[in-house]
Amino acid sequence: MSETSDLPVPVPSPETKPFWDAAREDRFVIPRCESCGHTWFPPSLACPSCGAEHPSWVAASGRGRVFSFVVYHRVYHRAFKSRVPYVVAVIELEEGPRMIANVVGVAPEKVRCDMPVTVVFEPRRDGIKVPQFVPAQS
Amino acid sequence: MTTGIISEPRLRDRYAIVGVGNSALGRVPGVDSLALLEQAMRRAVADAGLTLAAIDGIVSRGPDDVYTHHQRIGQRLGINARFSTTLDNGGASQILAVALAVMAIDAGLCTTVLCGYGRNSWSRTHDNAESRIQTELIPQEQLPREFAPEYGYFGAVATHALGARRHMHEYGTTREHFAHVAISFREHALRNPEAMMKEPLTLEDYFAARFIADPYGLYDCSLLSDGAGAVVVTSAERARDLKMQPVLIKGFGTFNNLRGWTADRNMIETAARQSGETAYRMAGAAPRDIDTAQIYDCFTGMVIAQLEDYGFCPKGDGGPFAASGALRLDGALPTNTSGGQLSEAHVEGMLQIVEAARQLRHTYPVERQVKGAETALVSGHGGNTVCHSTLILGAGV
Repeated sequence: MSETSDLPVPVPSPETKPFWDAAREDRFVIPRCESCGHTWFPPSLACPSCGAEHPSWVAASGRGRVFSFVVYHRVYHRAFKSRVPYVVAVIELEEGPRMIANVVGVAPEKVRCDMPVTVVFEPRRDGIKVPQFVPAQS
Repeated sequence: MTTGIISEPRLRDRYAIVGVGNSALGRVPGVDSLALLEQAMRRAVADAGLTLAAIDGIVSRGPDDVYTHHQRIGQRLGINARFSTTLDNGGASQILAVALAVMAIDAGLCTTVLCGYGRNSWSRTHDNAESRIQTELIPQEQLPREFAPEYGYFGAVATHALGARRHMHEYGTTREHFAHVAISFREHALRNPEAMMKEPLTLEDYFAARFIADPYGLYDCSLLSDGAGAVVVTSAERARDLKMQPVLIKGFGTFNNLRGWTADRNMIETAARQSGETAYRMAGAAPRDIDTAQIYDCFTGMVIAQLEDYGFCPKGDGGPFAASGALRLDGALPTNTSGGQLSEAHVEGMLQIVEAARQLRHTYPVERQVKGAETALVSGHGGNTVCHSTLILGAGV
């Protein structure tokens, strides 16, 4: 079995399904409030800023910066054994919300806080794709 | 909603901790968390010179999968209660238990409350090979199902290490600063016969240790322990008739950054600030009045951030403050004088309350005693890393 097929995949909730459905098509979308324009992450039923329900899903630029990051050396899950050391980061999107992702395509020791990054999509099993971030082209 | 609260000085010095106890600590195989807590609670009651007949309240907590925990422990102790409940606020629960005990007594619901917490984390994670891999203590069905596992984002170490990294980036904090926290507490543990860690820790040891989630290595992380602690809370008036010198509850405060660890500046500026402000105001105290601090030391960097947020040094100076030797028994602010969760045992902040009370009673041999300790600050932190509680205690007469 290949490594990719062993890696955990997200289990979407009704609130997050549109995000993961878009990711399957290499589209990076976030919820935006129809009422006040606030964007947020992770997706939830109502706008955390004004309480309005029924957010729309809008394309995010996919650009952001590394707010903070860690480098995993310990293996917590067998599927990540061949990936250590790997980077888990808090990415601050250009639109404001923050999300957890891996920073890939760069040696862990080269990653820095505030480093500009851009989204890519990593295929997992069953057509599921996971947004990841790579250093932005300067 | 972060300003404008006036905490209630009416409660200052009107309630007291009159008995403290801890169970066997460290590696206690074959004993579950309820049995450990029962032992600690019985010792706390005996320490107060009371019998269980005097206890009419219980606020307890245990591992997250025990339902109505207070009933299970009350059954073991063989008592009914006018007031009892189980708390759920992670490592911030234990101080909250003391605060809730005060509020319940003040409301006339009960008179004398046992507060305690016990866990058997060492045994649970060393039971077999599978449990060694999965050190996560949260029940499987409560773990996140997305936005974490697909990224290999597991465990409390990495969560806190994210905050440590950002602190390093913004303030120039270094791993050597973290090391001084661990080394200071280890020195304290070597004076504590009950502490799990028995060997000195050097800078060389610290840097030679393996990384868990960089910037945190092995010695940045608190211990997995079996153990329990308990305290008896009653009114200062009743305390006068008891055998032990009471430890007065001067103030307490809580604050929970419920928007989350990755939101706002929560991973750098902790809720210790607001919960501390509330506690200081109730106690009529300021950072300069604190003789010893017992800080929730789940990880070294969290100690540094909290020391800053409590006002013991300017924001961003916590690293140099720790490296100056301030946290040592003879330092400016003797901190985690039992060895803390990094070197004594990790009982989610319960032992920090016990240690503060013991220091204020001046019953330790001179090599463990904070000289002239009259006021102590205790912190609790947890609940998905954003919930915080603060307790300020004073020596009674």
